[in-house]
Amino acid sequence: MRAPPDLLALQRDFLAALYGEGNAAPASIRGSGLVPDARLDIYRHASELIHLGALATSYPAARALVGEAYFGRVAMAYRRAFPSRSGNLQAFGEAFPAFLAGRPETVRWPYLGDVARLEWLRQSSALAADAVPLDGPGFEAGLAAATRDVTFHLDPSLRLLSSRHPVAAIWRYAVSEGAGACPDADGPGEHVALWREGTDVVVSTLQPASFACLQALATGRSLSRAHGQACDIDPGFDLVAFVGDLVRAGRVVRLESADRESDAPARHAGAGPAATVDRG
Amino acid sequence: MGLRAAHLPRVLEERPDAAWFEVHSENLFAAGGAFRAAVEQVRDRYPLSLHGVGLSLGSADELSASHLARLKDVVRQYRPVLVSEHLCWGSAGGRHANDLLPLPHTRAVCDLLADRIRCVQDALGRELLVENVSSYLQFDGATMPEWEFVAEVVERAGCALLLDINNIYVNSINHGFDARTYLRAMPVHAVREFHLAGFTRKEELGAPLLIDTHDRPVAEPVWALYAAAVQRFGPVPTLIEWDQDLPALETLLGEAARAQEVLDARAA
Repeated sequence: MRAPPDLLALQRDFLAALYGEGNAAPASIRGSGLVPDARLDIYRHASELIHLGALATSYPAARALVGEAYFGRVAMAYRRAFPSRSGNLQAFGEAFPAFLAGRPETVRWPYLGDVARLEWLRQSSALAADAVPLDGPGFEAGLAAATRDVTFHLDPSLRLLSSRHPVAAIWRYAVSEGAGACPDADGPGEHVALWREGTDVVVSTLQPASFACLQALATGRSLSRAHGQACDIDPGFDLVAFVGDLVRAGRVVRLESADRESDAPARHAGAGPAATVDRG
Repeated sequence: MGLRAAHLPRVLEERPDAAWFEVHSENLFAAGGAFRAAVEQVRDRYPLSLHGVGLSLGSADELSASHLARLKDVVRQYRPVLVSEHLCWGSAGGRHANDLLPLPHTRAVCDLLADRIRCVQDALGRELLVENVSSYLQFDGATMPEWEFVAEVVERAGCALLLDINNIYVNSINHGFDARTYLRAMPVHAVREFHLAGFTRKEELGAPLLIDTHDRPVAEPVWALYAAAVQRFGPVPTLIEWDQDLPALETLLGEAARAQEVLDARAA
């Protein structure tokens, strides 16, 4: 059924006030001993705290790096620019890394956006679909059954991030609340893989050739093409050792014959049990 | 008890003597992960209730088909004994406050809620419990008191009621009514669950105002109202809600044990 028009108008005004738009509380709010704005403020404050809490949970390292006071201000600015679009808060902070990196006040932390991207990927890994990995014999059988080249379906919790900054080292330092050694923020960039292991998300730094191979596999390239991309970086790249490690770590879920491979964009885009790649 | 991630390892390991657990439905909306797996284990050992906070039944916006579809998946997978939502709204024009916002108590809003609740019950293929919410303001144009509004929605929707005793008490102070009048207006046959929680008193304002903060023990006047509710509605399942500043598991179990004593006394 259609909602009463006055309800629609009331709720739009009310929500605009909760998002800091409009100058006054909706006229239909009774003061009952208080100014109506004081009553509305309770809801405004609660909604702000809920959204701030969601961002603080998703981005503890970014919060530690910029400080609580600035994080609170930028969270409120983000909330206005990217309002929550769901009754489930899970997706609320998705645009936060780019928003944070784009603020003029964060120029002095050039790595901040990538640290936040890593945190978002970490959360996304923690919530990704479950999958049963192939064991060694299962993998061997898959290889034997393939008529030609193969493509890999990887652990759905796998996430990849390549950064010009030592992003994993900075992230570790930030979440340790300064307990570890302070990394050189101007040090070499890092290629990072994240995946879920039990209740934790592992954050691991890879060699460039291994990262290139994994990235190619994650985006649906065949094993031979992934190998080629790794060898472009490191001619001595050991594919057998790399794949063996991947299978033992439980990161391979399924093999598929790559009868027709092209250079078209990844077959996984948005569907199937594929890994997500973020180039940072 | 409300099941929070911080207590999950001890609940699974020690299997405390709790009658049942409740989980926010949206916390199970993820595709996978450790929390979902752990809640499945809890479900295998205790009765589980799913309590939604994000369906926004009273929004002028259309009901979210994707949210409802996800809820349906979660209900199918976790087979809860109870499924509940709130008599409130949370979004307008596609934007969400992610909070439980108050509705004007009018006949037209009753119509909307009853229609939405029937729609949700049809989609889930089962009874939905709806919960009365705490509120800090009222609207001009309201044509009925809150207790009539809640009772009418429940009757017209053909749904069940999750009666939050703390919310009734909080609203009775905030809006100046007799909490026992509220209890007397509720349809006895529809009450399937009680909620109890702690509130905070806001001191700096010019009028008395209690905030439903879920961050402390249940207050004595709420225990007294609970005893009256148990007397009237019978020994229905009771949940201790504690979401902020979580205490040790023992504190929550102690609150749950006190509620159990009230239920046992009624059943005897």
